[in-house]
Amino acid sequence: MMNSPRFLLFLLVSLLQFTTGCAPRNPDAANGGKNVLHLFNWNNYIAPETVARFEKSCKCDLSQDYYADNEEMLAKLAAGATGYDVIVPTGNALDTLIRQGVLSPLDKSLLPNFRNINPAYLDTAFDPGNIYSVPYAYTLSLLGFNKEKIGQLGLPTDTWAIIFEPKYLKKIRGRVTVLDSQRELMAAALKYLGYSVNDTDEKHWQEAADLIVRAKPYWAAFSNTSYIKELAVGNLWVAHGYSNDMFQAALDAQKTGRKFTIGYSMPKEGAVLAVDSMVLHKSGKRHDLAHQFINFMLNGKNSAELTNLIGSGNPNLDALQYIQPEIASNKAIFPDPELIARLEMLRDLDRRQRRLLSRLWTEIKLR
Amino acid sequence: MKRGNPWLWFGAVLVYAFLYIPLIIVVLYSFNDSRLNAEWVGFTLFWYKALFNNTEMLLAARNSLIIALCASFCATLLGTMSGLAIHRYKLKVLPVLVFTPVAMPEILLGVSILLFFLQVLNFTLGMVSIIIAHTTFCIGFVAIIVRARLQGMDESIFEAARDLGASPWQTFRLVTLPLIMPAVVAGALMSFTLSIDDFVITFFTKGVGEPILPIQIYTMIKVAVTPEVNAISTLLMLLTLVMIIIAARLESNGLSEGNEKSRKTAKQAAK
Amino acid sequence: MKEKRLARLLVSGPPLLFLIVFFVAPSLIMILTSLRFPGEFGGLAPITPPSDQAVGEYGFTPDAYQFFFSDFIYTEIFLKSFAVAFGTTLICLILAYPLAVLIARSRKHLRNLMVLLVILPFASNFLIRIYAWMIILGPESALSHFVNTVLGAFGIAPVTLLFSPFAVLIGMVYVHLPFMVLPLYTNLEKHDPSLLDAAQDLGANAWQRFWRVTWPLSLPGVFSGSALVFIPVLGMFAVPDILGGTGDILIGNLIKDQFLGTRDWPFGSALSIMLTLAVLSVAGLTTWFARSATGQRAL
Repeated sequence: MMNSPRFLLFLLVSLLQFTTGCAPRNPDAANGGKNVLHLFNWNNYIAPETVARFEKSCKCDLSQDYYADNEEMLAKLAAGATGYDVIVPTGNALDTLIRQGVLSPLDKSLLPNFRNINPAYLDTAFDPGNIYSVPYAYTLSLLGFNKEKIGQLGLPTDTWAIIFEPKYLKKIRGRVTVLDSQRELMAAALKYLGYSVNDTDEKHWQEAADLIVRAKPYWAAFSNTSYIKELAVGNLWVAHGYSNDMFQAALDAQKTGRKFTIGYSMPKEGAVLAVDSMVLHKSGKRHDLAHQFINFMLNGKNSAELTNLIGSGNPNLDALQYIQPEIASNKAIFPDPELIARLEMLRDLDRRQRRLLSRLWTEIKLR
Repeated sequence: MKRGNPWLWFGAVLVYAFLYIPLIIVVLYSFNDSRLNAEWVGFTLFWYKALFNNTEMLLAARNSLIIALCASFCATLLGTMSGLAIHRYKLKVLPVLVFTPVAMPEILLGVSILLFFLQVLNFTLGMVSIIIAHTTFCIGFVAIIVRARLQGMDESIFEAARDLGASPWQTFRLVTLPLIMPAVVAGALMSFTLSIDDFVITFFTKGVGEPILPIQIYTMIKVAVTPEVNAISTLLMLLTLVMIIIAARLESNGLSEGNEKSRKTAKQAAK
Repeated sequence: MKEKRLARLLVSGPPLLFLIVFFVAPSLIMILTSLRFPGEFGGLAPITPPSDQAVGEYGFTPDAYQFFFSDFIYTEIFLKSFAVAFGTTLICLILAYPLAVLIARSRKHLRNLMVLLVILPFASNFLIRIYAWMIILGPESALSHFVNTVLGAFGIAPVTLLFSPFAVLIGMVYVHLPFMVLPLYTNLEKHDPSLLDAAQDLGANAWQRFWRVTWPLSLPGVFSGSALVFIPVLGMFAVPDILGGTGDILIGNLIKDQFLGTRDWPFGSALSIMLTLAVLSVAGLTTWFARSATGQRAL
């Protein structure tokens, strides 16, 4: 038996298993306790140059993990993900995190650049006095469109009606996508109907759901990311999406020499404003590095890099001088003060409302 | 009725074509010099190069390998014991526990282990949780293979050994183990393959920050499909192909060799 | 004899312990979770109120199940999942049967090769197999162009093959076909060829030989294969997720959404329990049918 090649194979395999070790890999252990800052951030939400500069200035490593939406981030945190120093949640997720009590207060004395932030974006309803959060960037959820095509068809571009009213939709059947997000789509419908995005009246929700179901047959798909490419190549003529994605689409269309341009603007009924803030998670180990990072990102030049890269809105007044003029003058990225008033931030729902919304969403998807 | 009906052959060829053409397309397009998986443009190894520069992917591959090795080791150990026990003793509970995870939809196992770790053990999800989850459903596969092997064997060997005064441990070490070894190794290889490929259970039991191969592939498919996915798919297919062929060889060789061995042992016992 | 009992304990003990801890306990936890309130911010509400001034509901409740029955839509999704599972099983059976017959009738070496060729695709990563169909059914693909050209000739508007119920069905069949072939072939291999010869001698034609002899004898294999396809399809979420359109969600997708999206663990657990019951009923029915079928046809 000892000579059997099969037995040798078995031994070899067992040896391999023991040497590679059945021990779990711990990111902290793997880094050997070096200076590491753990950042939990959106995909594609920080410029690589910024990261490199930060790592040089703090003589540390920035370890990043990503999520594609707030729900995913919250679900992962709920599933026990620990060890993140800085997280960048959007308003309603921030709301949840504060109420859950998992954030550490910021030490403003370590954040001299805090004064750079535009006061219009401070003191939100869920974090008055900005005890836990500092604004990082913001986006608007709005409509992007193929200027030439929509102009030809004579359709309005300043109202949500273009994605909800059959009289407009029938001219663009199969060329429209909407966001695949319960909150975002319902918010757009509620705004169009004249309600607040945070309206929790069941009757209003049913109205919004009915509006959506009526318009659904004309839509090509529910899409969170692919619409960027489809707009830029001309397959889609109208898309419900995020302002920085529209910026990307417009840029792509320009770069590839398309015969059309992508326009985007905030509908007159109003839209959702998503402000992403930097927060400290209690389970983070390096609060010192975290504060260094936050202060670094509050510096105008660093903050502007992201805006110049992806066209995200910037709440940092000091950053304005570093932002490319075409972006700074874009009203969809930097809305006028009167328009800002019509923007609303989403608040988190309680469990009853979440269940109800989930059921409405299932119906919307199925009908 | 050994001659094949031509209609049957035709149908069979169609089914094989149906099974293989999609996979061949995936492999072909991994060498395609085009971002779109639409038409053939030219031959290139660009996507493979991109793959090897993709640190996230390499890390995911390493993690998946570690998980698969650990899970298959544990599953083989526990599965062999289960196979032996179920075959040898008239057990009522163990067979149910061993075979149910194999039969149930994977999502149920994934979800229940997720809940268990979070609520009862208050254990952070990570590689360990994945290893445990994989072991749980692989035990059944190993047990099935080992038991099938035992069922095909001649019981008189064991009786002969016992009559000659061997203790249960000696019987196991000198008679049983060598005879079931092909099944054990086949089971180990099968567990390894199942673990590396597993998507659903890993999806629910993985932690944050540690990339795992099938999840990486899934993210790539959902977010930005590039022929890199084709490249990694081809490599994975190659790996599992090799594993399966080895396992199959061992099993069929094992059958004939096993009979050889048992005849030899019986002869020696008779001397 | 004590040695024997010790041996038995040593061999069956560890796996038993492992499975009780990591399979039985989690299943019980899932049942418990389905009977609790969802947490205010996701997850679960504690069983006992954390303090005297805590407001809200704690403890156990059949809330999640009531929610399931409060709207027909959830039952509808279950029914849809059953329909897809049934369709997939049927198609797999039709595709697999001729192949299984051929394999069973072939010589030993060819047979092993043919079986291996059936298993090999199964050995590749299941996401890859689904992804392959994304390529084939994609709007830019040759197949799409071909189909739409043909439809165009008849004046029918172009259809999208991908992200449709059709794509989901093909994906399900593709992923599960080997599971139908193997049990069928294992069963068919054991058929005594002389029975067919006898039937032929008695004047039965090919169809009658199949329907009166082969088919009834193969029923146990048919049932095993069907169970091996039907049950996984019921719980599958990856195929609709990748190949399906927005309306093609099945039970598996709904469950996944509850845990990784809505954070409604009780409802997700309740759905899982209902799925488990559905699976157990199917398994039970299949075993019952198999037994009665073989009983009646006992030759």
